[in-house]
Amino acid sequence: MSGYIVRRLGQSVVVVIGVMILTFVLLHMEPGSVAKAILGNGVHVTQLRLAMFDSLYGLNKPLYQQFLAYVQQLFHGNMGVSYQSLQPVSSLIAERLPRDAVLVGLSTLLALVIGVPTGIYQALRHNRPMDDVLAGTWFTLYAAPDFMEALLLIALLCVEFHVFPPAFPGSVTSVGGLFANWKALVLPVAVLSINSVAGFSQYVRSTAIQTLAEDYIRVARAKGLPEKLVVTRHVLRNSLLPVITILGLSLPDIVAGALIAEAIFNFPGMGLLFWQAALAHDFPVMLGGTLVIGVATVIGNFAADVAYSVLDPRIRYGRS
Amino acid sequence: MPSTRRLAVAGAALALGGLLAACSGSSAHLGSGSAVKGQRVKGGTVTVAQLSGASPNDIFPLSPATNSNGYNENLTIGSWPYIVTIGDADKSIVNSRESLFSSLIYSAGNTEITLVLKPWKWSDGAPITTRDFMFVYNLLKVEYNDWIDYYPGQFPADVSSVATPNSHTVVMHLTHAVNSAYYTDDILSYVPLLPQHVMDRESLTGKVGNYDETTAGVKAVWSFLQKQGEQESTFATSPLWQVVDGPWRVSTFQNDGYYAWTPNKAYSGPVKPVVSKVVFTPFTTDAAEVNTLRAGTTAAGGLTIGYLPLNDVKQIPQLEAEGYDVAAVPTNGVAEVLPNLWNPVNGPVLRQLYIRQAMEDLIDRPLLVSKVFAGYADPGNGPVPVNYGQQWDSSAEKGAGLYPYSPAKAIALLKANGWKVVPGGTDTCQKAGTGPGECGAGISAGEPLAFTMLYASGSDDFDEQNADIQTTEALGGIKITLKGEPFNTLVATTGTCNGSSHPNSICSWQLQQYGYDPYQLDPNGSGLFNTDGVSNYGGYSSPEMDSLINQTEYGSSASAFDAYENYAAQQLPILYLPDPDFIWMYKKNLAGAFPENPFSVNVQPENWYYTKPAK
Repeated sequence: MSGYIVRRLGQSVVVVIGVMILTFVLLHMEPGSVAKAILGNGVHVTQLRLAMFDSLYGLNKPLYQQFLAYVQQLFHGNMGVSYQSLQPVSSLIAERLPRDAVLVGLSTLLALVIGVPTGIYQALRHNRPMDDVLAGTWFTLYAAPDFMEALLLIALLCVEFHVFPPAFPGSVTSVGGLFANWKALVLPVAVLSINSVAGFSQYVRSTAIQTLAEDYIRVARAKGLPEKLVVTRHVLRNSLLPVITILGLSLPDIVAGALIAEAIFNFPGMGLLFWQAALAHDFPVMLGGTLVIGVATVIGNFAADVAYSVLDPRIRYGRS
Repeated sequence: MPSTRRLAVAGAALALGGLLAACSGSSAHLGSGSAVKGQRVKGGTVTVAQLSGASPNDIFPLSPATNSNGYNENLTIGSWPYIVTIGDADKSIVNSRESLFSSLIYSAGNTEITLVLKPWKWSDGAPITTRDFMFVYNLLKVEYNDWIDYYPGQFPADVSSVATPNSHTVVMHLTHAVNSAYYTDDILSYVPLLPQHVMDRESLTGKVGNYDETTAGVKAVWSFLQKQGEQESTFATSPLWQVVDGPWRVSTFQNDGYYAWTPNKAYSGPVKPVVSKVVFTPFTTDAAEVNTLRAGTTAAGGLTIGYLPLNDVKQIPQLEAEGYDVAAVPTNGVAEVLPNLWNPVNGPVLRQLYIRQAMEDLIDRPLLVSKVFAGYADPGNGPVPVNYGQQWDSSAEKGAGLYPYSPAKAIALLKANGWKVVPGGTDTCQKAGTGPGECGAGISAGEPLAFTMLYASGSDDFDEQNADIQTTEALGGIKITLKGEPFNTLVATTGTCNGSSHPNSICSWQLQQYGYDPYQLDPNGSGLFNTDGVSNYGGYSSPEMDSLINQTEYGSSASAFDAYENYAAQQLPILYLPDPDFIWMYKKNLAGAFPENPFSVNVQPENWYYTKPAK
């Protein structure tokens, strides 16, 4: 196992470096002048001013020199400065990442809490009316665009009945502030959960149905093990494997943020940060974001692999 | 008006444009706000919605040239107003009451300006003197190329010497004569005064000195202040930013752009703040802001002032029921389709005035105003919005303008110039040549009248407007192919094309529509239509236009502006389009905020106060 971990770590470093190089090259292949994209086309934006911008950020140097400079500053823990906000990219990410972790983390947790038991319940009532009703419900919610669900919930619960605020106050900048304004968290968490619940429940349902048909389940039942224990000890544990995969892949989602929810609920997170940076040609933010997401993806996959082996002792990683 | 303000509104237009949509059927006309009657109440907090993407990032009022943020002025103008304050209620005029100057006299053939400062004080009690002016002047004289508001050849580059005969009088000698109205409105209106006794330092711990009196000292001070100006965490706390001469000071600033102003209790000016706090709260999108307006007071205390994208005007009755009034504010800019007169393929076609006239004849501007902008737009008859300020509209822009919608006139014009007109199809040049009745120089026989128009994508109103233009141009046989691109990509890939330089790499575009070009207070087209204008991307060039624009900047004739405006309206260096208004919703018990001119929306809250109903 330890050899496997070392190899995976080595592969991860290569993957992250590859992502970084690819992103850097692709971003710099964008047509047009970055300075113009950032400074605009006003009557004050002279050639001199464009040249000063290029010089300030080293954009007038050959591409390989820009890349080497970027790598060098990365080794010093410096991800650069946003062309737009003038703030260090690491600060921008550090401000937003914890908030997104709360938002996406809570919604994932809620989806798990609802989705896993529901999936097991559906599997136990496979092809019965409640299974069909729940499956239909989840698929319907899954099919509905999340922005539509968000707007409907806002229209109903914020505008009509004034139960929840429709947006986070602009003054909320910390994780503590999120919890202090917990009412504003309810709708975005709910909206983000809806699609995840459908995914979790249907994966769990499908795996649980297969597990219930396994010989060891029959043996457990034949031994007289109470049904509750059969479900919790054997069915549930084996049905969680696909959930582990989804959770592992959710890690980059947390880092990448939730663009639609952020946009609708006035939640300045990672998704909006990257989206706005992409529109504005804000290379340092794009590079920093891609790097962080790349690392999160590698970690997520790695964590999922390790979790597999914990949940299912038959799975062992090593040399073939 | 400084570029910061101009950029601010440009950005706002883009942001709003993102959600503007067809609002068919509604052509009701909004008021521009109304005076609120009732008893004045002292105190209270006003919460103002910031347009999405409008968060400031620099508090030093002389932002560097490499800073792209046009909203920094919104943060600083309440604390350090400019020598000349512009905007007074619904008038786009100089507000002498709130300006720092007591008198401005132009003499010696308009090459000498005598500026007398009002006897006001800084918030720490120190008098505002010419030393503060000299501090700003000394900094800018060395660093003007790194100043966001520097306009080539203007202040302070055009100042040959400065004298300060007493502590409140500055005499500036210029290198050339200027048009006094232009210089006051557009140049001195972006020069603030800064407290030399606080800011003339090279570090926070170092002593204040007279560093600005040497070039090396200026560079050190400039560098220090620029760096400090970007430290968001100290915007509200650094001693550098605590001494102000405006009615407000920044009392709170949080990352993400939430900030608040509280009154400068020592403000010397005549209009003292009445409300006790003004909060500017950011929104990630227009949708989030409109939802907050709709939710009323349950939404984080509610908004006192918010904006309404045009595609949401149908919500006005509901918002009025929530306790809001509505006000429309005109845009300080010119909306356009920009033709590239030096495109390698059809630049020669677009260089023909009659072609541009035919194209303008085929734009149904009244339809665009009523259908796309729900009635809330300037008609776009020429280079200056006629709703912008009564003092500017010349004869050419009155009524329907010089080019009212007329497919018949466009067709006749094209036929008279040698084109075979195919309504609904594509016209072709039938008579090549440069003589009367022929297509014109550089246009070969059989050449089609067809263009690709790039436009800023992601905006429903642009989509609809351009589709309408495509349809009506087709009535005259002018084929327009639309292609949307992200705004920044459009800007990044557009180069300045002119007769001497039009490389294919940056001049392959034919027509562009990206919104509007913002104006300073004097909307004289400088930079847009003069031959060497920085934003003259399409390469329009006319000695007559250059001369007329020069007259508005450097001449002494009061009628110079009208002459310029009439000529620009007739010459069509760009194709004029309607310019949408900004719609603002404000609480019915808030007075003084509206009606408002486009230059001082939400930046003069010293005029605001809450009311309670009169008994």
